[in-house]
Amino acid sequence: MKNIITIVIRLTVSCLLAATVMGICFIFTSGAKKHNEHVQEQRVMYELLGFKAGAEIPSSMALHEVYRYVVTAGGKQTIAYVVPQGGGKEGSLFVSINLDGTMAAQKELPLSEAQALDAKARLAAVTAAAEPGATVIFADQTIVVTKDGKRIAYILGGKFQGFKTFVNVMLAVDPAFTILGLDVLEHEEDPGLGAEIDQDYFKNQFKGKPFEALKNIDVLKAPIPDDYLQALNGKVGEEDVQKFREQYKDKAVYALTGATISTRAVADGVKGIVTKFAYRINVLDKILKEQQLTVSF
Amino acid sequence: MANDKTPMQLIARGVLSENPIFRLALSMCPAVGISTTVMNGIMLGIAVLFVQVFSSVTISIFKNLIHPRIRIPTYTLTIATWVTVIDLVLAAYLPEAYAKMGIFVKLIVAFAIITMRLEMFACKEGVKDSFWDGLGMGIGFMVGMMVIGMVRELLGSGAILGYDVLGFKPLLFFILPSAGFFVVGLMMAFFNWIELYYKRSKGVQ
Repeated sequence: MKNIITIVIRLTVSCLLAATVMGICFIFTSGAKKHNEHVQEQRVMYELLGFKAGAEIPSSMALHEVYRYVVTAGGKQTIAYVVPQGGGKEGSLFVSINLDGTMAAQKELPLSEAQALDAKARLAAVTAAAEPGATVIFADQTIVVTKDGKRIAYILGGKFQGFKTFVNVMLAVDPAFTILGLDVLEHEEDPGLGAEIDQDYFKNQFKGKPFEALKNIDVLKAPIPDDYLQALNGKVGEEDVQKFREQYKDKAVYALTGATISTRAVADGVKGIVTKFAYRINVLDKILKEQQLTVSF
Repeated sequence: MANDKTPMQLIARGVLSENPIFRLALSMCPAVGISTTVMNGIMLGIAVLFVQVFSSVTISIFKNLIHPRIRIPTYTLTIATWVTVIDLVLAAYLPEAYAKMGIFVKLIVAFAIITMRLEMFACKEGVKDSFWDGLGMGIGFMVGMMVIGMVRELLGSGAILGYDVLGFKPLLFFILPSAGFFVVGLMMAFFNWIELYYKRSKGVQ
């Protein structure tokens, strides 16, 4: 009996000690970690838009965040968007849309674009704007990129099932939903096989795929032709890269050797993200137009 | 049981006569699963080196306070703590290294080699000797992973450290996990043969 008690006490003490060490370490590093993640995200975003690290970003370009929420009240679901208000006005708009694509409600929110970045403040504002007693769940966010007031791209994030766990990607598409760039932020595929999805030669296959081709995207189990591979790796001039992109834009994606499932997962995942987004943004645009709401993009 | 080996001998023992992968045959899962390229081997090796050294030293310091019945949970706890700390620090202050090593660091918790070194060495010996033993084992593991990685990368993708040296891919099979067993097996045979040869040349039967 005495033995058991000593064991229990010692194990508890060791656990507490370990927990303290880990906790202290977490407190000291969490700030820096979040900052790194944010910097990384920004870098990836600009790279997808074609600005390599260090390139100057034109001042006429602006990023506008659009947040999507799912609001459930009394067994009825609506999709709520928080969009930055346009026409020189500060603050955001709360636009709630029924599942059949008709307008449910709209309100002005006292949130500037900078304040809306804070997830907690945003959630509080959305909850206040929604019907009383409704449950509000954050769904996702999209960034609309404008240049001189005209939309030039959307930046989408998304997660989907890979071969092992989730694959987290970021996509840039132009207003016609042609893919401008794809980056894999997080994945746990097999090294040497599925992990190749974060290599340039794989990601660049998606670049320039038009929406129509993406809807029927297929995976081809064949080795990538040598000249195309060179182009995908950026080893040829910009003109040749464009030529190859044009040539292969309606073709299937070449599967990674030994990782067809990962390839198919990425192809289908990207297709899902873009087609769903295209539907949503069309509905949102229609509503905004019907209601004559001015937004900043 | 006092240890009568010098630091250099402890390191040499970890790399050669008791190499974790080729002689002790421990931690075969990572050796087979991760070592598809030389770079992966180096990354995992560095991560293991740090965790092994820190854990060995910690256990060696607290060896008299650990109840013998619960030593294994305590070892696991120590390793997990160090893995978490290294993971957090890397993510916070060395984001570029973390992007490459992050996934490997998390794998280490379940490594047999670290627990085994704590059980066999660190819980009996002094802090200094444990440090050198941990260092030797870590380096030994890294060297092993690099050698396996080199063979598999060269035969599987025709490259070394990402640079295309052969210009073609001789045997894709070597990238697959099952080929890891073949490479490890052949390496073990090679190490044993060297030892045998060495002993023969010295006239020892």
